[in-house]
Amino acid sequence: MQRLFMLGVNHRTASLELREKLAFSNAQLEAALIQFREKFPDCEAVLLSTCNRVELYVAKSAQGHPDTDQAIDFLSSMREVSALAIKPHIYEKSERIAVEHLFSVASSLDSMVLGETQVLGQVRQAYDRAADMRLTGAILNPLFQKAIAVGKQVLSATPLAEGRMSLASVAVAYARRIFESFSDKTVLSIGAGKMAQLVIRHFAELRPKSLLICNRDREKADALALVNGGSPVSFENLSDHLTLADIVVTSTGAQHPIITRKTFDGIRKARRYRPIFLIDIAVPRDIEPAVGEIENVYLYNLDDLQQVISQTQASRSDTTALARQIVAGHVEEFSRWHRARELGPVIDQLYRRYHELARGELSRTLGKLPNVSNAEKQHLEDLTRRIVNKLLHDPIKRLKESDSMHQASAQYIHALEKLFQLDEHPDSEGAPIEPANP
Amino acid sequence: MPIFSRQALYLGLALSLSTLIWHSISRGSWWPVEDNFDSFIWLATLLAGIVLYVQRVKPLPGLDWFVMPAVVILLILAGIFGRTRPHEYVESAWHWSHRVTAYGGAVAFAVAAAVGAMYLIVNGRLRSKRIASGPELGSLERLENLTRLSVTLGFALLTVGLVTGLVRALDSSTTMGRHWFASPKVLLACSVWVVYALVLHAPINPSFRGRRAALLSVIGFVLMIGTMIAVQFMPEATR
Repeated sequence: MQRLFMLGVNHRTASLELREKLAFSNAQLEAALIQFREKFPDCEAVLLSTCNRVELYVAKSAQGHPDTDQAIDFLSSMREVSALAIKPHIYEKSERIAVEHLFSVASSLDSMVLGETQVLGQVRQAYDRAADMRLTGAILNPLFQKAIAVGKQVLSATPLAEGRMSLASVAVAYARRIFESFSDKTVLSIGAGKMAQLVIRHFAELRPKSLLICNRDREKADALALVNGGSPVSFENLSDHLTLADIVVTSTGAQHPIITRKTFDGIRKARRYRPIFLIDIAVPRDIEPAVGEIENVYLYNLDDLQQVISQTQASRSDTTALARQIVAGHVEEFSRWHRARELGPVIDQLYRRYHELARGELSRTLGKLPNVSNAEKQHLEDLTRRIVNKLLHDPIKRLKESDSMHQASAQYIHALEKLFQLDEHPDSEGAPIEPANP
Repeated sequence: MPIFSRQALYLGLALSLSTLIWHSISRGSWWPVEDNFDSFIWLATLLAGIVLYVQRVKPLPGLDWFVMPAVVILLILAGIFGRTRPHEYVESAWHWSHRVTAYGGAVAFAVAAAVGAMYLIVNGRLRSKRIASGPELGSLERLENLTRLSVTLGFALLTVGLVTGLVRALDSSTTMGRHWFASPKVLLACSVWVVYALVLHAPINPSFRGRRAALLSVIGFVLMIGTMIAVQFMPEATR
């Protein structure tokens, strides 16, 4: 019997500081999954790491490892953050609740920006990566495939995605509070990731005086500059570009800040103390928080921008009702599928075992009764079969009525396996499966 | 509501102008700043006119909220300190120039202070990341530009006002005395001038731009209002 659980931190439970410490880069993710496979070879696992969340999904046998403490220790050791520091911010969910959570994540219902489509791609990437490393199996494969399908349906069939406020539009709205016109302004993008592309496209529409794309990978910078009518510039002269810039968007994958207070103090005079709008959408952050304390510097990170969006969307809870309804329907459907998948073998084993016992006892009794006719033998066989079926009817009915993705049901199944020693008797013996109906 | 307030503003403006015309007719003189009452009413009317002009040409959300209280205060001041008896000393071109430029400067500084206060609020919101709180008040860039424009205009008028006032003070026929430079009015007016000079030196020392300039424009206006009120309590000979 397989059990499913997940644990993690997200924008609601953990600060940006903690999230950036726990965030995995692509290389770190792969290393973590390899290590997980070595440590817990019999488990399925998917590790999801985005700007807003780090979550580990695990499917394992009921008695297997890891338990939640071991999973927290694993995350803590991989990111070198003390488990004690993580624990207060961790949420754990299991079985049906974990399924519901994943479906909500994929549908952006758990995102700070409702209706954002990026998280669906991130869920897909996390699943593909784990699947490529053969870390997914009978539980996580259907679960994640279903989650991706649910996410697609919610984002296409509900008004959630239509009316969404994007991070980029919020950034532009903020810029309009600082600057009156953009025709004399310079926009600088440091990094050329997907998020940066979105934000830069919005700023390019404002027709700034110049749009500079600064990226370590020159080809990416060239491509982004070409699309948005900007100019690629070298990463080495970052200070010079910062001196010119009025709006800066940073989204690099750097593990440490690339713009520090010291950097900025050095260029303030050359900038003639002009106001500057810094948008740091990288996790970990690209700009030291102390830069935001400088006069005429307006520094906004991912949480600051998303906070505005979530406040605006708080009043739009009606738009999420349909999305939640879709998610709930799919959770129920997945639970039914899982129930059938989990209960089938257990019920099968139970019937096999008891009919086998009954048949054994019957043949022993018949051996003591030499004058029994074939018709009478048939009656006795029917009788024993009916007795077994009647005895098992109520517990099986109760078991079928329960939800296998629920903790109580899991306990039922576990109890059955233990009480009737089903886990010690795999269905290797070839007795026919009896119908459940008496 | 905005339509109602705009109509109320037009009505107030019309009433103020009517009052000024009525006073001029009854006085038999068309000089508008001959007495305190008219001066305060003129200031209020000019300020309200500027608000209407800005909101018509390139609307600045919230400007009404910040300037109109100053208009109301001026009208109250007219009621308290206003006197319809012409000043005896308002008799030469120097005197007229002094009064017109000083009051014109005051109007410009009132706008600068209102816009400066708006700048401080928007800046505070942006820094505390509470941008959604309260009504929109325009961009920092526009508020800064408008503050600088108002202060520049006000500073020019105040400078002329100070010079013409100095000429009047040095005129032996006035009664300010030999120690005119120690007069509280002159000292307060000079300190106002220094404050606004600081605001205007931002192009030379750009670290003075933004919040500091906005703060100084508010401080300068408070000082100037203080000067105007203080003058009302000074012996007429020393004004």
